[in-house]
Amino acid sequence: MKKELEHSFVTNLEQNQNIVHKVCRIYTNDPESHNDLFQEITIQLWKAYPKFRGESKFSTWMYRVSLNTAITLYRKSKRSIKTSDFDAMDFKITAEEYDDGVEQQLKLMYAAVKQLNDIEKALVFLYLEDKSYKEIAETMGISEVNARVKMNRVKTKLKKILNP
Amino acid sequence: MDELELLKKDWKSRDSELPKLSYNEIYKMILKKSSSIVKWIFLISVIEFVLWSSIDIMVRLSGEYDDLEILGLENFSVISTILSYGILIYFIVRFYINYKNIKTTDSASVLMKNILNTRKTVKQYVWVNISFLSLTTLVVIMYMTFYTDTYEAQSADQNIPLYVVIITSVLVLAVFIGLLALLYRVVYGILTRRLKKNYQELQKLEV
Repeated sequence: MKKELEHSFVTNLEQNQNIVHKVCRIYTNDPESHNDLFQEITIQLWKAYPKFRGESKFSTWMYRVSLNTAITLYRKSKRSIKTSDFDAMDFKITAEEYDDGVEQQLKLMYAAVKQLNDIEKALVFLYLEDKSYKEIAETMGISEVNARVKMNRVKTKLKKILNP
Repeated sequence: MDELELLKKDWKSRDSELPKLSYNEIYKMILKKSSSIVKWIFLISVIEFVLWSSIDIMVRLSGEYDDLEILGLENFSVISTILSYGILIYFIVRFYINYKNIKTTDSASVLMKNILNTRKTVKQYVWVNISFLSLTTLVVIMYMTFYTDTYEAQSADQNIPLYVVIITSVLVLAVFIGLLALLYRVVYGILTRRLKKNYQELQKLEV
């Protein structure tokens, strides 16, 4: 029974691991912290898995547990480095993909996102993942109106960071 | 906002750059132990329950309760014992219920609230326990001073005025409670600072 559960969980997670990696990408700045957070999210997902009844899609359920782990449960390790050091390390943009202007803008955007606080990062992440305001509100446990207002504020904040 | 839309497009195109873990690598991960903040909060809370409730046991072992019986405070001793265990059981049950409520599948806001509540229960227990201990100590001192001749016999020997004794006791108690409050701010701060900040940020209604 336990083996079966383990197998179905690992298979599911293997197929949907991108979600967890993307959460790690938003919340950590170096590969070691990325792996650390991935590890903790995996444990939390596994602990919650026996109660996963399939009412929602596995991926929807994953968004919630992963974000909760990153925002609330994960204890940031001391080795996480300063924002200024991350720069192009994680988000390398190859020159042939974009022209210089767009490349520069994207680089700045990613750097600006890194400067946001935990909650704002979660909002941006869900937005980038194409979640509706209803889903964002449900995941964060706030009203839809509040989610919209907060998102607008994040947009303004990003604008300010980009054009000081 | 154009920039965010641009970012969204780029974000989606980068899935292929994400690391890919194999089945075995993920399997190994589920065998490891969590090091989440909830685990730390649980451990520290249990230590606190043991520590604070053992003060009562230590007082008992030191024979102070026998003195109460000599003084004619048997009923007081029985009532305070029942009360102190009642308080302990009440808080342990509340702590357990709160702890069981912590679910990573809840929304972020509910999860944070439940974790903070768990911590709050322990904090309340400690303060109730200290107040209770201070109160019982005070009652016993008062009783000894005004209704028995224990104090008079002692003070006659040492020649210390009553108000000095009272002021000294209050000062010692105040310093003790002050230090404890400070320690609490530090421990509690380290454990829940980020959590509290995020919870407030989430609850904050932007105008």
